[in-house]
Amino acid sequence: MNPAAVAVPVEDTHGDGRWMSLHNRFKTETKDREPDVLMIGDSLIQQLGNTEMWEKMFVPLHCLNFGIGADQTQHVLWRLQHGELDNINPKIIVLLVGTNNHGHTADQVTEGILEIVKCIRDKQPQAQLIVMGIPPRGQHHNPLREKIATINTALAEKLSSLVNTQFLNVDPGIFLNPADGSISRQDMYDYLHFTQKGYRKLCEPLLEELQNLLKNFVKVESDMGEVEGAAAE
Amino acid sequence: MKMVLSHRQKEELNKAIADYLSSNGYMNALNEFQKETGMNGELDKKYMGLLEKKWTSVIRLQKKVMDLEAKLSEAEREFNAGGPPRDKRSPTEWIPRPPEKYALTGHRSPVTKVIFHPVFSVMVSSSEDASIKVWDYETGDYERTLKGHTDSVQDISFDHTGKWLVSCSADMSIKLWDFSSFECVKTMHGHDHNVSSVTFVPSGDFIVSSSRDKSIKMWEVATGYCVKTFTGHREWVRMVRVNHDGTLLASCSNDQTVRIWVVSTRECKVELREHEHVVECVAWAPESSTPAITEAAGNDIKKGARAGPFLVSGSRDKTIKLWDISAGICLFSLVGHDNWVRGLVFHPGGKYLLSASDDKTLRVWDIKNKRNQKTLDAHSHFVTSLDFHRNAPYVISGSVDQYIKVWECR
Repeated sequence: MNPAAVAVPVEDTHGDGRWMSLHNRFKTETKDREPDVLMIGDSLIQQLGNTEMWEKMFVPLHCLNFGIGADQTQHVLWRLQHGELDNINPKIIVLLVGTNNHGHTADQVTEGILEIVKCIRDKQPQAQLIVMGIPPRGQHHNPLREKIATINTALAEKLSSLVNTQFLNVDPGIFLNPADGSISRQDMYDYLHFTQKGYRKLCEPLLEELQNLLKNFVKVESDMGEVEGAAAE
Repeated sequence: MKMVLSHRQKEELNKAIADYLSSNGYMNALNEFQKETGMNGELDKKYMGLLEKKWTSVIRLQKKVMDLEAKLSEAEREFNAGGPPRDKRSPTEWIPRPPEKYALTGHRSPVTKVIFHPVFSVMVSSSEDASIKVWDYETGDYERTLKGHTDSVQDISFDHTGKWLVSCSADMSIKLWDFSSFECVKTMHGHDHNVSSVTFVPSGDFIVSSSRDKSIKMWEVATGYCVKTFTGHREWVRMVRVNHDGTLLASCSNDQTVRIWVVSTRECKVELREHEHVVECVAWAPESSTPAITEAAGNDIKKGARAGPFLVSGSRDKTIKLWDISAGICLFSLVGHDNWVRGLVFHPGGKYLLSASDDKTLRVWDIKNKRNQKTLDAHSHFVTSLDFHRNAPYVISGSVDQYIKVWECR
């Protein structure tokens, strides 16, 4: 049995019930909101929700953020099986998860992600699914980066045959110093989580894809002030 | 340097400095300072944090001054260049001008709907916080809150006398409120899902509602009974509106269609499908707008052919479409919004149409020339609703940013 691919809720080791509170809030949002875009994942998704970029570029797309920090694949799977995909019909779902599956092998994590993909395909067949490659982590070269690369390669292959599903692996090279392969704290403040600048790098290709799929080009600098026709006055 | 502080102020400043020194552990400086100023050793709690507070408040005030100056210059520009003064502009021409007269807060969740009272100088707002609030739009005063719904209030509407207010909610109920006692006098159940829209027929004897359960229902005000159900939409019905003589209903839906229903027979007379996404809102064109619409449509309306009634619809496909109901065709589209169109209201004079959108703007459309005459950056988040007063120069808007704004027209 692959522990990364069998749904389980997070054990409330801190004792404040926050994980379940978030899950319940997301379920409420599926009833109140009608997202066109749904972002699902761990802290890499969650923290995007606190950026300026989110407010400017994602909110106008009618986007919801179902990210919970520290989530592993089996936890996301549990959430999706327990109501977070009910009541809504998003046009696009974005999935980014797997960097926290520390006890699991690359194969197990890959299978875990594929299990989530299957769940999303079952519950939201009409939606376009974008699975994002796991970004590199750690200041210097390390075994986790290897594992992540293996997962991403496997995902690229396994997802290529699925309809309405694409794998978007933002080139890890853009986060690495070409000289020594190191990650700058300008991009990832703790060599895992993104800064505003890091998110801009990560999300530019994603936003481009979202806007292509939605045929929806958000004007960033929408004409300020009122536009007044000269002939009108 | 000339000292500008009074003796008392100087003493206060010294005490605040002493507090600052002590709370930051600058004990040597504090001792010296107390010696030099002849202060006794004890520090008054009253001055705790005072210096920091004053320090930050200066920045806050500076920002406020800058904001107000920007607002003033905008107002001056509007006054000088934006159009003739109010007394010189005829009521058929006046349109809302920035900046807003009031930005009112009170709701704790997105505002879903704002409407004017047909008689008194009040407006009413509904919100996802399950409440309905009453405001004086002339003074900007909050008046009261109507509580009773247990989930997001989706729509509100007055009868023509303004004695009755009806509301509907995601709690699946419709409530009728006596607007003199502000009591809920009836609660109507019958929809199986979120009730998205509600309105009175012109006589005031019936209420019409639409729901996520795909149906439209008609309710008798006197008894509270559901007397008619209109079915046909394949998905969530977003809004329903009654025409001026009460014989037709217009509805729009997540199924991307607009439908016209004959009230007497319950039949669906026309199905209008041209929008490419959920249709959010519809509004019947008033008689006064017929000349502008006819001119805008040009050759599409054949001479002598019966034209009208006319209807506008706003959609998540970002367009506004104007329909000739008797011909069952779209006469023209108004394109300009950068996001979902959420609210539509005709100018009482008939020359303009106003719209609210998730692109955070309000827009004024010159119907005759089919063009976007004016755009107001109205809110910091999606604009969900707007209303135009029938005879006073005011427009109101509500938003996901939880504000309600009052705009004066000139």
